Amino acid sequence: MSVLGECLAAFVFGSIVGVLVQRSRFCNAAALRDAILFKSYRNTKALLVAMIILTIGFTAFMSIGEGHAMHFDVGLNQMVGLFIFGIGMVLAGACTVSTWVKTGEGNVGAAWALLFTFIGMFLFSLVWSTNYWPPAPASMTGEPNLEALQFGFANASTLQEKFKIPAVFFGMIQAVVLYAIYRAIRRRERAHLGEGVSRAPQSDQTIHNTAKEAAAE
Amino acid sequence: MEFFRKTLDPVIALSAIAVLDVFLFLIVGAWTVGGGETMMTGLAVKAVIGDEINRLPFWNLVFPPTFGYWKIYISFGMLFGAFVSAVIAKEFYLRIPKRLSEWVLITIGGLLMGVGIRLAFVCNVSTFFGLTPQMNLGGYLAISGIIAGAWVGSLVYKKILEA
Repeated sequence: MSVLGECLAAFVFGSIVGVLVQRSRFCNAAALRDAILFKSYRNTKALLVAMIILTIGFTAFMSIGEGHAMHFDVGLNQMVGLFIFGIGMVLAGACTVSTWVKTGEGNVGAAWALLFTFIGMFLFSLVWSTNYWPPAPASMTGEPNLEALQFGFANASTLQEKFKIPAVFFGMIQAVVLYAIYRAIRRRERAHLGEGVSRAPQSDQTIHNTAKEAAAE
Repeated sequence: MEFFRKTLDPVIALSAIAVLDVFLFLIVGAWTVGGGETMMTGLAVKAVIGDEINRLPFWNLVFPPTFGYWKIYISFGMLFGAFVSAVIAKEFYLRIPKRLSEWVLITIGGLLMGVGIRLAFVCNVSTFFGLTPQMNLGGYLAISGIIAGAWVGSLVYKKILEA
């Protein structure tokens, strides 16, 4: 596909995501924060359902060698980086998706978060430029490199190669595990409802207000 | 239109996004945001300092600034889609954080998100909607990290709320 075609497909996809997220007020930060702080799982359930669909969809196509899978080696930097990101998104009250969507709704705080995400990225690029760590996708070898805290490349396709079983089989197992988590959350929600403690915040209009609404209840 | 009058169930919204994401995966690659944001950072820095940016290896070797990078347009699309949707639903208005503490939290949070994405080389969207559904082991590491981070962040946030 041409570069223009790729950019156009991405823009159309992004626009539909923008509409759907704006109408549903989905936020990845809220999916984790509300589950941890308020035992409210509105966004968490949506996240799990999407992951189930994606797991089956991606691994089905990976089984026949289709699709563009991400080629990132497994590294400890992923865990540490997302740990730092996790703290940041809760403090900012928005994830990467909702900063864009809330900015589109006129939320100045979200635009500010976005600006400082860019600044954070630039600051890290200065650090990377001095030590070249962690390995960038172009310099990833796919082989374990313990000195750089990299453990090689592994995904559903490598499982298929190794065990000669279609990737979608492993995808189905993961989907069942995700569904089990979804069921457990539904059970917990029903138990809470039974006690008359429904605390699901239904809106996320401003960058921080879901947590505040829930805290006020 | 009824669609713009009531809140959509996020399970329905995310299911639709997931189906579309499978198509995007077939065309160019799975949904991601951090890569596009990094490229925008590079383009913005280049606009300010020009070719001086070439002295920083990161912008030479990892993200040479270019407008032909499809991931940028996912973010622009989200901004555009949300703006149009908010205007139609009459939900567009300027929301400005009122307290200084909010500005401080957002600033620190934004910085941590930027640093975290670059250290991990993936963002939260790639973690939940890309790597993990592709059963990349890095996705599982990243999910453990983000849950632990969200937990620590929530504790800090709770302390601030109670203060």
